[in-house]
Amino acid sequence: MHRSLFASFALYSAALLLTLFTLAPLVWLVLMSISSPNDLTSVPLNWWPTEVDLSRYGHLVDLNNGAGHRFLAALRNSLLTAGGATLIALIVAVPAAYAFSRRGASLALLFVFLATIMMPPITYVLPLYEIFGGLGALNKTTTLIIVYSAMLLPFATWLMKSNIDVLPVEIEQAAFMEGASTAFTLRRVVLPLALPAIAATCMLSFLVAWDEFFYALIFTSDLSAKTLPVAIADFSAGRVTDYGVIASVGVLATLPPAILAICFQRFIVSGLAAGSVKG
Amino acid sequence: MTNNLQKKERTAVSSNPILAVENLSKSYGDLRILKDVSVAIEAGDFLVLVGPSGCGKSTLLGCIGGLTEVTSGNIQIDGQDVTHTDPAKRDIAMVFQSYALFPNMSVGDNIGFGLEVRKVPKAERDKKISQVAELLKIEPLLDRAPAQLSGGQRQRVAMGRALVRDPKLFLFDEPLSNLDAKLRVTMRTEIKRLHQRLNASIIYVTHDQIEAMTLATKIVVMKDGVIQQVGTPREIYDTPANIFVADFMGSPAMNILVADVTMDGLMARIEIAREDGQEPLILYDPNPGEGIASRPAGALKIGLRPEALTDLGSRSVNAEQQFDCLLDVVEPAGSDTFAVIRLGGTEVTARMHGDVDVNSGDTVPICFDLSKISYFDPKSGERL
Amino acid sequence: MSAISRSREKWVLLFPAILVLSLITVLPFLQTVWTSFTDAEITAREQQVNWIGLENYIWALTDPDFLEALGRTMYFTVVSVGLEGVLGIAVALLLNQKFRGRWFLRVIIILPWAVPTIVNAVAWRLIYHPDYGALNSLLLQLGFIDSYTSWLGDPDRALNMVILADVWKNFPLVAYIALAAMQTIPGDLLKAAAIEGAGAWKRFHSITLPWIIGPMLVVLILRTIEAFRVFDIIYVMTRGGPSDGTKTASFYVYQEYFSYLRSGSGASYAVVVAGISAVLILAYYAGIRRDQRGA
Ligand SMILES: Nc1ncnc2c1ncn2[C@@H]1O[C@H](COP(=O)(O)OP(=O)(O)OP(=O)(O)O)[C@@H](O)[C@H]1O
Ligand SMILES: [Mg+2]
Repeated sequence: MHRSLFASFALYSAALLLTLFTLAPLVWLVLMSISSPNDLTSVPLNWWPTEVDLSRYGHLVDLNNGAGHRFLAALRNSLLTAGGATLIALIVAVPAAYAFSRRGASLALLFVFLATIMMPPITYVLPLYEIFGGLGALNKTTTLIIVYSAMLLPFATWLMKSNIDVLPVEIEQAAFMEGASTAFTLRRVVLPLALPAIAATCMLSFLVAWDEFFYALIFTSDLSAKTLPVAIADFSAGRVTDYGVIASVGVLATLPPAILAICFQRFIVSGLAAGSVKG
Repeated sequence: MTNNLQKKERTAVSSNPILAVENLSKSYGDLRILKDVSVAIEAGDFLVLVGPSGCGKSTLLGCIGGLTEVTSGNIQIDGQDVTHTDPAKRDIAMVFQSYALFPNMSVGDNIGFGLEVRKVPKAERDKKISQVAELLKIEPLLDRAPAQLSGGQRQRVAMGRALVRDPKLFLFDEPLSNLDAKLRVTMRTEIKRLHQRLNASIIYVTHDQIEAMTLATKIVVMKDGVIQQVGTPREIYDTPANIFVADFMGSPAMNILVADVTMDGLMARIEIAREDGQEPLILYDPNPGEGIASRPAGALKIGLRPEALTDLGSRSVNAEQQFDCLLDVVEPAGSDTFAVIRLGGTEVTARMHGDVDVNSGDTVPICFDLSKISYFDPKSGERL
Repeated sequence: MSAISRSREKWVLLFPAILVLSLITVLPFLQTVWTSFTDAEITAREQQVNWIGLENYIWALTDPDFLEALGRTMYFTVVSVGLEGVLGIAVALLLNQKFRGRWFLRVIIILPWAVPTIVNAVAWRLIYHPDYGALNSLLLQLGFIDSYTSWLGDPDRALNMVILADVWKNFPLVAYIALAAMQTIPGDLLKAAAIEGAGAWKRFHSITLPWIIGPMLVVLILRTIEAFRVFDIIYVMTRGGPSDGTKTASFYVYQEYFSYLRSGSGASYAVVVAGISAVLILAYYAGIRRDQRGA
């Protein structure tokens, strides 16, 4: 079928409009981060920076700078929290996924697992706050890791289960026949076969943890545990006069997920589809 | 592994089965897959399990291997009840249809997996792996990944993994069905040679009745989860227990036709109707057996193997049981020539010499050999 | 493996997961429910906690502020999920056409999804800035407005501005799922319809839409569940203001807990929010069941 000129025009206009709508806020964020404060406060705005100003990025990676110190501490906390929670969630999720996939554990239970993360966190937060407070565990990265691993666990279990489902069962049976225990089979046979799925699950879990704000806001109070989202919220709420600083922190916080998302788009999109549509 | 002692024992021990399955049933929900299956084999037996697709062969094998929970009944291996034992503790090895090699391990590691699980020291493990590799002629492949092997080579690795542990019992689930026809014949011979050499006890599932006939010391024919017959290949072939077995085993299949059977002295007189106003065929069976002799005269189903209907060239001795028949279709197949004849309301196959010169539409004399005739109840299909 | 050891093993494998989820979600939830029947408060000193029955609930369900917050949450949810659905399907239709540069659009569409929620909120707050914001400058330069406007300063408009920011971040997910569903439509089906003379709208309406409706329903319910608990973006962009114009249910409960320190009544609000979420979650499972039966 050949498109009419008008249809082509409409199509390319729509594509252009979509590109603008998608990219404009991001491009502006990047431009703000490299524009001079004067450009950013002129009315109307100076859209294109009169000179490229990378000093903010320099400050942010400088431990001796106040903003840099806060940013780097938050970055460290975020990496530790998201990484640790992803690791724990995976370690707990894989055996559970195996039970659902191969040991006939009831799927109703899996739905209960999933329902726990669909509930608003506001339902859990106060008792958790009091319990961790009672244990003197507030404002600790470990605490956030524990809470986050519970938050990541149901989705990771679901994703791993659907991936184990499609592995050839005979290979595991062969291992059992050869005398291997379930643990040994999981380690030596199932995990190597499920490696791509594990990578995808890790990535998605990491991104979810990287993004989390609510628990971090409530359970952390200073640089020793605050994660990037909380730090960014602080930056933007504080009396920062230079909006470029906020923008540059935002750019840096967006880079890791954006790079992962672009590089592993196929993985991520199919993971999201599995997680949302197939339930 | 090769063990002469064991071989001697085998003839002595006869009432001590290596595997005994008693009244085994397996259901998935309301669906009954295996119904009251009982079967036993002795050390050194090569038991072949045949039956149409979906009849429960793999399920039975899974139950024996411990991969599938049984619903009722019990399983003994070497005198021990293993009905609820882990597969790991049954001392069984299994070769899967898909080979089920571990894709992330080298061939050597695949073969040595069971030994690794049992924490056999590396040196000893390597020794056993290379012994098995030598036996199966796969020494040059030990460092390769399964993905780099051909179908036949994978098949050998899967067997190597089973052989290396020297288990009490081997289970094979259609191990050759993924190979091409020629390789299948080669591997069949090889498996037979291995069995004779190692004197292993084997249960072997197949679709292919030629595989069954050539490999088995004992054949079990199953249908819809019920055992139809257990016997040596000769017994199954010559005296099928019912029409299903008669039809299932042998290629081309046994001819089953309706005939009027009456006793004429000590002989059975068998009258087979023919079409187009031809004279009916009258055959005599000199040794009909008690079952037939004591039965009232009437219509029965009889079974004749294609080789019981043949051309003159082979069997001039029995010339009195010889009739002119119209050959509907002639199918030369090299060593034999098959001809389709219309008899008793159905098409029957005659097996003639490969070098006879006949064509479709010819009328030629056919000799009937009734020495291995089977009689079946026309209603139940059971052997009489 | 025997029946007994196999079913026991199942629980061994599940145990860590059940333990983690029980401690971090199930038990706290039960605790919240219990607290909602008391007059507990968050204090440092020992306090006497009294069982007060349904009092909190009676209070909650007659509290006009809370009901307004619930209504606002529903408005936020319905409008943003509705826009995401429409925009998502439109974008998927576009990305399902053949045109030069399509691959590029397909790739960059994921970017808004990858932007962390908080960064998204911060970025849009800067864009909406009343004195130096990009939106003001752009609209002024294009001549749409005469003077700078305080986009988030007007209680009636602020929520809509937040919705725009939320839709920008979340439409890619919906678009990708709609696109994935559209790609499974057999090309012959659409061609046949075109030959039968069905116009573009007719083809969309009678083939494409019914084909993708199952997955769309599921993802939109999932988005509804997420949107209903909205907190982060509100916290950063408006803190519930101005004059409570963007105070959603989660934010309301958060304040009840951590600003007014009334855990008993806060818990009863939380349970009401959880109850509504539970209904949505059940709808989600019903949607999945329907989707799988349809497939
Ligand atoms: N897990 C299961 N749940 C329900 N039914 C099953 C299950 N496994 C097997 N079956 C059914 O049991 C029957 C027997 O299956 P089985 O695999 O044993 O057949 P088979 O004789 O090995 O067939 P084939 O020659 O095709 O391999 C089939 O009808 C199959 O559909
Ligand atoms: Mg089978």
